[in-house]
Amino acid sequence: MAVIYGTFFENIFGSPKEKILTQQVENLKLQYSLIGRELDNSIASLNSLRLSDDKRYRPIFDMDSVPESYRKAGIGGVDRYRELSGYQNSGMLISFKSKIDEIISMATVQKESFKTIAERSVEWKREIDHFPGISPVNVRFSLGEGYKWRAIHPVLGTARMHNGQDFRVPYGTEVYATGDGSVIESGWNTGGFGNCIVIDHGYGYQTVYGHLSAIKVARGQNVKRGDRIGISGSTGLSTGPHLHYQVEQFGQHKNPVNFFNNDVNADEYNDMIQAFESQSKLK
Amino acid sequence: MPPTKYKFNPDSLSFDKVRFGIKALLLRFLAYFLGSVIVAFIYWGIFASFFDSPKEKALKREVEQMTIQYDLIHREMANVEIVLEDLQKTDDNLYRSIFEAEPIPGTLRDGGIGGVNRYDALEGYNNSNLVIETANRLDKIIKKVYVQSKSFDDLIKLAKDKEAMLKSVPAIIPISNKDLTRTASGYGWRIHPIYKISKFHYGMDFTAPLGTDIYATGNGTVVAVLSAQRGLGKHIIINHGFGYSSIYAHLSNFNVRAGQKVQRGEIIGFVGSTGTSVANHLHYEIKLNGVNVDPVNYYFEDLNSMEYERMVEIASKTGQSFD
Repeated sequence: MAVIYGTFFENIFGSPKEKILTQQVENLKLQYSLIGRELDNSIASLNSLRLSDDKRYRPIFDMDSVPESYRKAGIGGVDRYRELSGYQNSGMLISFKSKIDEIISMATVQKESFKTIAERSVEWKREIDHFPGISPVNVRFSLGEGYKWRAIHPVLGTARMHNGQDFRVPYGTEVYATGDGSVIESGWNTGGFGNCIVIDHGYGYQTVYGHLSAIKVARGQNVKRGDRIGISGSTGLSTGPHLHYQVEQFGQHKNPVNFFNNDVNADEYNDMIQAFESQSKLK
Repeated sequence: MPPTKYKFNPDSLSFDKVRFGIKALLLRFLAYFLGSVIVAFIYWGIFASFFDSPKEKALKREVEQMTIQYDLIHREMANVEIVLEDLQKTDDNLYRSIFEAEPIPGTLRDGGIGGVNRYDALEGYNNSNLVIETANRLDKIIKKVYVQSKSFDDLIKLAKDKEAMLKSVPAIIPISNKDLTRTASGYGWRIHPIYKISKFHYGMDFTAPLGTDIYATGNGTVVAVLSAQRGLGKHIIINHGFGYSSIYAHLSNFNVRAGQKVQRGEIIGFVGSTGTSVANHLHYEIKLNGVNVDPVNYYFEDLNSMEYERMVEIASKTGQSFD
């Protein structure tokens, strides 16, 4: 009799204990929903990280974006959450768990991706620093003979290709390294360049500075862009004081004019050289 | 049938059979029933306090499991937050090192206006939610008004003019840039990537992978398709009429010829890194009567006011350009 009544009561009123428990479940559900919001926030911020990864950094470095399959790898698997099944709210629990797993795998992939980007970024900076990207002297408006076929060599009197750019500068003008690199030749050049410096910038680039009156770097020395490497003069096959500047990429002569901007004025150039020098060891 | 009951009658000195009315019978039954119910309730109470009903058991199990899982999830969340913070720092560092500028705070990360703790000072009061919401809304309204006032001048001028002009004036972003994350560097003083000095940047830079489509931003005629060794590299100049012309530079390839008429949205070329450029990007310039103007004011076909405001913010970051 009591049992019958008991079940009867329970069905109608629910025991006080049950009420407390139900209350607890509700409370937990509330807490879960709070966490759920955090989870959604995390996923949103991961997605935005991924956007800046795919749309900002990777295009700059000409890298392929991380494939979707790789990003989603490790998610799924049916029996992952078996221990969580069989409860009233197991659907909710499983969804939370899987969301967390998703976040973790997304974060892992993102971390890896950022790592490669960071490495590439360092390499990129290095490449930019090594590129012969400035003019070797601070006189833009007195460009001498350029990169062209010339009918008469001023000294030899024969037709020869002029492989570089001449800068008409007075004796004693400072000559700057146009990019980071190491000096591979420094001294008298028997080919007519007189006192001559050759800098290897890596990435296939080499620059030649000819007809110098003085050389301030030794072979094997590492130089930075903007370092004073020599003083201009008129040594070698030269008819007057000038600097001969030559750029080679993978052994081929390039027109040096394409490797610096003419729209930098003298003051700006000075500021730039000072900025470069303040970071480099040569003074 | 219950046993017959008798009652002593002092008048007749005899036992009379007691007769019950229906009412009495019912009362009796009710009393018994209530009694049994009360007894049962007490028993059940005792019983229930010692033993759990199946429902309770299930609930208890549920609560236990949820609590355990909650703790676990909570702990994992804490980890996740640390990792996320780490990632965001990495992102910021990358941004700093590539663009030489402070990253855009929160705007892209949290979406919409503001970071999380914008209204921190307002929290902790009874109606803080209301206050925060109101402040938030006010903020939005103020921003909208600001943006509106900025674009109204253009709009009024445009509204007065003819349809042809509307179609010709550059009015879209030259590449697909739905989430605005492709915007890299705006118009104004920017650090030159090689010279590392401030130089005036006459256009806007958009980061995009090699070969991304570039669209004509308004109807017009292609006046020049040039391949320069330095400077703008491979670039296209479109004359839109009405004093407007636009330049698309550092392309990897062309899709139009000089003299060709183009419509807004037509693919004219592909993103590259030719000329004086250190990375794949599109350099986009607009000239009005031969004078460079800020392209950020010429995306009115593409952007709503919120997006416009974000674009202005992104473009105004003084950082490093790519040419």
